[in-house]
Amino acid sequence: MADTGGAGRMERLLWGAGSTLVVLYALIPVAWLVSLSLKQGADLGDGRFVPRRVTLEHYAAVFDDPQFTAALWNSAGIAAIATVAAVLLGMFAAYAIVRLQFPGRGLMLAAALSVAMFPPVSIIGPLFNLWRSVGLYDTWAGLVLPYMTFTLPLAIWTLAAFFREIPWDLERAARVDGATPLQAFVHVIVPLAAPGVFTAAILVFMFAWNDFLFAISLTSTSDARTVPAAIAFFTGSSLFELPAGAIAAASVVVTVPVIIVVLLFQRRIVAGLTSGAVKG
Amino acid sequence: MAEIELREVTRRFPDTIAVNRASFTIQDGEFFILVGPSGCGKSTLLNMIVGLEQVSSGEIRVDGELVNDRDPRERNMAMVFQSYAIYPHMTVRENMAFPLKLAKLPPQEIERRVREAAATLELTPLLDRRPHALSGGQRQRVAMGRAIVREPSVFLLDEPLSNLDAKLRGQMRMEIARLQRRLGTTTLYVTHDQTEAMTLGDRIAVLRGGTIQQIGTPRELYERPANLFVAGFIGAPAMNFLPARREGGELVLPLGSLGLADESAVAIPPGGQLVAGFRPEHLQLAVGERRAGSLCFEAQVDLLEWLGPELFVHFEVGLAGFGGMALPRELGIETGDAARTMVVARIDPGCGVKEGEILALCIDPESVRLFDARSGENRAPLRE
Repeated sequence: MADTGGAGRMERLLWGAGSTLVVLYALIPVAWLVSLSLKQGADLGDGRFVPRRVTLEHYAAVFDDPQFTAALWNSAGIAAIATVAAVLLGMFAAYAIVRLQFPGRGLMLAAALSVAMFPPVSIIGPLFNLWRSVGLYDTWAGLVLPYMTFTLPLAIWTLAAFFREIPWDLERAARVDGATPLQAFVHVIVPLAAPGVFTAAILVFMFAWNDFLFAISLTSTSDARTVPAAIAFFTGSSLFELPAGAIAAASVVVTVPVIIVVLLFQRRIVAGLTSGAVKG
Repeated sequence: MAEIELREVTRRFPDTIAVNRASFTIQDGEFFILVGPSGCGKSTLLNMIVGLEQVSSGEIRVDGELVNDRDPRERNMAMVFQSYAIYPHMTVRENMAFPLKLAKLPPQEIERRVREAAATLELTPLLDRRPHALSGGQRQRVAMGRAIVREPSVFLLDEPLSNLDAKLRGQMRMEIARLQRRLGTTTLYVTHDQTEAMTLGDRIAVLRGGTIQQIGTPRELYERPANLFVAGFIGAPAMNFLPARREGGELVLPLGSLGLADESAVAIPPGGQLVAGFRPEHLQLAVGERRAGSLCFEAQVDLLEWLGPELFVHFEVGLAGFGGMALPRELGIETGDAARTMVVARIDPGCGVKEGEILALCIDPESVRLFDARSGENRAPLRE
């Protein structure tokens, strides 16, 4: 008893220490960013972790900047549309791949995977020219499309894995109970695949929200420029001042929604939701 | 209430025929059983009737109306799945209300029916639980409840008891029988368990390899099996089979000879290869007077199975003299002059027999069924 208790405590201790280390490693840059955003302009280069005087002037400044608020709106809108569209399309595609027998299922999955492997930077040039000639340059659609394209494979693979776990009998039972195929999908399959849907949604949202490459290359004005690209255009109050405080404040502002989204959804990502569906 | 009629119903897959020209009629209110070993096509047949699977050819009619191409939701049939298939994200109440909500019934009516079904199945205290908090037997009840709330015209049950333990299975079997009698709903029940088939069914259809072997009441199947397969499938322990041939007016078995009635002697060509089948309970201890025409023999007890009210005696029979006969492979009897096969007899447990002892047993000619060794068909009985 004492032995196993000791081993258990030791194990817990090591796990705790390891987790703390990882969390610190991941969070120190974020903490530094928060600290920077709260410092006064003159203190930015003092190298102190805890600001000497706390001020919200940088936050006030970024929200006063119409360019930034427009970018925030663009980011939210584009990421939301890309997420909803990619998850919806991904759901139907994954469902078809898992449930329906049709030629080329394997090919479809492989093709989807190869799209995900494609380095985005290699298509930026052609996309820039293409978007300019078809009029998608500097529009929301011009960003939503590539975001969807690059995240759909991930969404399909994630959702397919979840759909595969759902016993087919449940759907057949729903059909016998009087549901149309769509009703069976909406009332039985989707609720059971909810953890998968949220996982896919988070992945797509993060990709769209954090993207810098497409945003900087395919936009030119605040019509469609998202926050990561907008931050790059920040200027100091004078030619000789680095806008570090404003950049830090803007970065904190764009990080917060992601954290909120993940925290909100992680409660929904609970495994074992399907337990009890069938025997066992 | 509904009468289901199948005409030459066939289901083809690219490389197999799952159901081959099944034709039968299930009467209104009848408890009809489809029984057969796994992979015999019984579930495919059930799925075609409920509309989850396409019919390749043939007709399925419900009350005279062709339903081949009807969507499952237009057939008004309720099904209980082997896996129960209750919705894990819904409470027991929501599970049972689901088909009623889809049918757009008024909420008070839904509530009334759910409460009624829950009371019938003793689920009332569990209504707000989720499936993962239920035992296997309770889940089974929920699946039944979801079927009965709809007041459908047909119940379809696909091996509903096969995931329960033996005791619960016996209990649920009785409950299903009682429920069906009370509701009087036409019921089609699929199982691989011959005990369930015998105890529940008004009539039974035995399937094998997609083809219906015989349809009849449990008694008909037990007493007059149409072929070797049905004879071996119905009854536990299974019927005993021994090679046999006709010599003059006698039927020769490895155990000895039986007298043949005149009309049987005509029906059976001499030298024809036959299989004689007899049930374990038809072997009787030879006590007192021998009945005329019966075959008596001595056997050494190899193994005893004592079950309380009954005692099964297993003994070996040598097949010397039947070496040249080819028996259907599924019987699992090797032929050859040195070959032996096992025979089981059910005798009075009070007789005090021990393993290794010599036992004298008799069998009456009326109890012996004769089958054609090649086709497996039942031949004329020795004597009626």
